[in-house]
Amino acid sequence: MDNKLIKIFHGPQHPGITGNMSVELDLLGETIKYARTHVGYLHRGFEKLVERRTVIQAFTIVCRICVPEPDPNEENFARAVEGLVGIEISERAKYIRVMVQEMSRLAAQMLWMGGQSGSIGMGTVGQWSLFDRDLMLDLFEELTGGRVYHMYTYPGGVRRDLPEGFLLRLSELLDYLEKKLPKYDSIFFDNATFKKRAIGVGVIPKEEALKNGYVGQALRGCGIQRDLRKDNPYLVYDKLDFDIPVFDGGDVYSRALVRRGEMRESIKILRQVIAQMPTEGAIMQKLPKHRKFTLPKEDIYVATESARGEFGYYMAGDGTEHIRRMQVKGPSLIHGFTLLEKMLIDEELSNVAMIMNSLGICPPEIER
Amino acid sequence: MKFNTIDIKGIVSPFSAIGKVLEHPKTVCYPAQTKTVAPGYRGFHTNVLTDCIGCANCQDVCMNDAIDMVTIVEERNAKNKSGCIPRIDYGRCCWCNLCVDVCPPDSLALGEVCIQADEDSNKFLFFPKDSSC
Repeated sequence: MDNKLIKIFHGPQHPGITGNMSVELDLLGETIKYARTHVGYLHRGFEKLVERRTVIQAFTIVCRICVPEPDPNEENFARAVEGLVGIEISERAKYIRVMVQEMSRLAAQMLWMGGQSGSIGMGTVGQWSLFDRDLMLDLFEELTGGRVYHMYTYPGGVRRDLPEGFLLRLSELLDYLEKKLPKYDSIFFDNATFKKRAIGVGVIPKEEALKNGYVGQALRGCGIQRDLRKDNPYLVYDKLDFDIPVFDGGDVYSRALVRRGEMRESIKILRQVIAQMPTEGAIMQKLPKHRKFTLPKEDIYVATESARGEFGYYMAGDGTEHIRRMQVKGPSLIHGFTLLEKMLIDEELSNVAMIMNSLGICPPEIER
Repeated sequence: MKFNTIDIKGIVSPFSAIGKVLEHPKTVCYPAQTKTVAPGYRGFHTNVLTDCIGCANCQDVCMNDAIDMVTIVEERNAKNKSGCIPRIDYGRCCWCNLCVDVCPPDSLALGEVCIQADEDSNKFLFFPKDSSC
């Protein structure tokens, strides 16, 4: 029986990621010798569905591409349509969109914290972080009418104005989260168990990260300061003061610390948005009758920095009410295949879920 | 970081979670207690029949074919020439609110009622009226 490889399928249901994806593993004892990603459990054909609908009908589909953070999808879709049609949104709408993006980022990081801690058996952290995420979802419910799928960032602006006293309630929640973050440090980020499990595991070499086009925490966790909000500012990010957290380790722990830093920076951005948001200005520009947008025969690429890295949309119009082609490029494709398959070699089986979670893989993005 | 020395802080600090035992529980005791939804929540539709003009814009914009226009015999808006009002299939609806966005007289809206359970699937075909369900 010595030196005999055993094949197992890790997933499609497992604690490693939000969604269904399987990893075929060849094990020698507890050590992984070969890994291959299998997708197809969540295929809903988003890109093809979009082609068969009018622009505004497609708007309600894109948020479903990623459940943990649907808002970057809405933002990309709205900006692509606005770019093709030639709509310039008001300053107030831009600030509201930045607010939604950062609220979404905070909620996504809270969900990640639950998953990351759960993958190494820390149940308490997940209980806390999902409760705190729910507080953010309460605000989303108030703002958009929905908790998870917001369908709020609309081509031409945003769908509703802020409810009365909303910014005050958001500010109170930020106060609460600011007090709560050190408690997360105590039970999770500074936890000796987490450090022992995560330091030196799932290491990405710096040169490889640049060469292979990794994004988000995979890049910033190995010392490369790259963030679309700074490098190619959209909306009003160029008017806001924030830092890009970077750590050099390249391992799971460094990526966790990057996320911890991003939560702090999101709170900082939201505070500035609350202070600077114009009180006047249309939240929605004048739209075509019955929302029937006609896209010109042009194409466009837009990208947003999501909580997991660069999220891009390519969109082409053909002079009709329909989108000729829309392609989604999320961070999960490169992380779920190229990176994960390479990274799992010679790792322990018990580390698979933790590594997958640290990369922020979301399967619907891969099989869109 | 190497563990040449014992990480005392890392071992002790997680025990701070024990302090939570003294706090009041955050969960609600469902179904005895329920959570109220926020104003503007996207629940089941409502339709003010005296305002509805039966234009079928809502049916046209619905990407899920969840809306069909059905003739009614009840009292209706005098401007409702088609004599039809929307019927929503909640097996197909995704609560996107587009039908509400394109409603010219603003008669259609999404209400705050969001829970419906029944053994009969036909009960999920609703004629939205002045109040949900």
